[in-house]
Amino acid sequence: MDISYLGLLFSMLLLVFPLIIFHTLKLKLSKQLMISFGRMIGQLAIVGLWLQFLLDQEDWRLTLLWAGIMLINAIFTVKGRLKSQRRILLPVMFSALGIASLVVMPWILFMVVRPDPFFSAKFVIPIYGMVLGNSMNSCALALERFESGLSDNWKAYYTRISLGASIWEAALPPFRKAMQASLMPQLLTIASMGVVSLPGMMTGQILGGSSAIVAIKYQMMVMAAIFSAVALADFIAIRLYLAKRFDKFYMPKKDIA
Amino acid sequence: MTDLLSINVSRLFYEKKHLVSDIKLQVKKGERILIVGATGSGKSSLLNALNLMNQSYHGEILFEGKAITEYPPHILRSRIVMVMQEPWLGEGTVQDVLDEPLAYLATRKQDLGQREQKIRELFKAFELSESYLNQKAEQLSGGEKQRVALIRALQLNPEILLLDEISSALDQKTSGIISDCIFNNFPGTVIAISHDPLWQDRWQRSWTIAGGTLTDNREVK
Repeated sequence: MDISYLGLLFSMLLLVFPLIIFHTLKLKLSKQLMISFGRMIGQLAIVGLWLQFLLDQEDWRLTLLWAGIMLINAIFTVKGRLKSQRRILLPVMFSALGIASLVVMPWILFMVVRPDPFFSAKFVIPIYGMVLGNSMNSCALALERFESGLSDNWKAYYTRISLGASIWEAALPPFRKAMQASLMPQLLTIASMGVVSLPGMMTGQILGGSSAIVAIKYQMMVMAAIFSAVALADFIAIRLYLAKRFDKFYMPKKDIA
Repeated sequence: MTDLLSINVSRLFYEKKHLVSDIKLQVKKGERILIVGATGSGKSSLLNALNLMNQSYHGEILFEGKAITEYPPHILRSRIVMVMQEPWLGEGTVQDVLDEPLAYLATRKQDLGQREQKIRELFKAFELSESYLNQKAEQLSGGEKQRVALIRALQLNPEILLLDEISSALDQKTSGIISDCIFNNFPGTVIAISHDPLWQDRWQRSWTIAGGTLTDNREVK
């Protein structure tokens, strides 16, 4: 069932309540709310028109081009979010998100969904969006945790290498902690799915008219794809970051900030 | 016979600051060497250069006739082991602390035979009860931590032990136990930085760094 533009306008009127709360508490968030919602409406309107165009065309080259643009956008978003060691992040993120995408997406498309036509934008774009969005966030968190795990305790790192540890052995404890920190929230979300909240994709499918059974099957598949991509991307990102963070004598490089 | 260490460094730096010039030294197996000098004179920079932790120098350092830069760093550092001023032991028990570096060596299939016997001997020599093995390392006193750090290093059977002011925060008794233990029980080469008077008169040789030059004094003892 479609929503009318007037209906959409009414949904935006719900924002009156947070605005009243901000006003009462003298919270300086009203301007940010306007900016955030303004941006969202603008961005989604453009993306919506573009997606509709992609769906209508059903051209695999356009679908692939858009997937590439999504990937580049994700890389730069992570680079912008992380504050340290930014010079080495571009190749690291490109490889991590790129490899994770290349493993998970063909798997889903070849072995699970098998859409016709094969690169159907209707399947590729939304699924890739979810896989990439989650991988991007998780990678940013994992790299941030890993770098802070190292820099908060250089003494541990230096002690380990001074006793004969390789870079891998000396950095393994912060590596483990970073993976744990980035993957644990994902696992908790997965465990609470359906009980605490209905996932967005499933909700969208049900609202769009699919049966609930089809919707949960898609949701299960997407969660497996997301978690696999996230774990792969985190692991590859930290592993490559590690290789670029230290020199050949295992000492931290100084000129990469 | 090849010297164990041969140091030929024309200029030694701390980052970009020039500290010492014209260092030419040969070190034999089993020598005990003390490095002395004022704070910031370059003692630690020199010590760190010996196990590849400091690359800021012009020249060459050979270990058993081969440039140290040609060794894989982890191999060199398991043979030239450093103990630092404030030891870091981690969160686990003393047993975990001792096991961790052995795991690195085990992965390289180095011989770890007689290990338990050796640990027992080291605990006895350092006057620590073996019951400490099950204690959390964080709960140890400063002196106990330093002794555990030394046991952790010595169990690896290093050829050279580098000590960076390890007794500076210790009381006289603990410092005495540690110096006795190192001098009486460790057959390898020791190169140490120390300001501790207890340590000063036990060395065969000292390197004094002052005014940007290093003087090699033999037979200090």
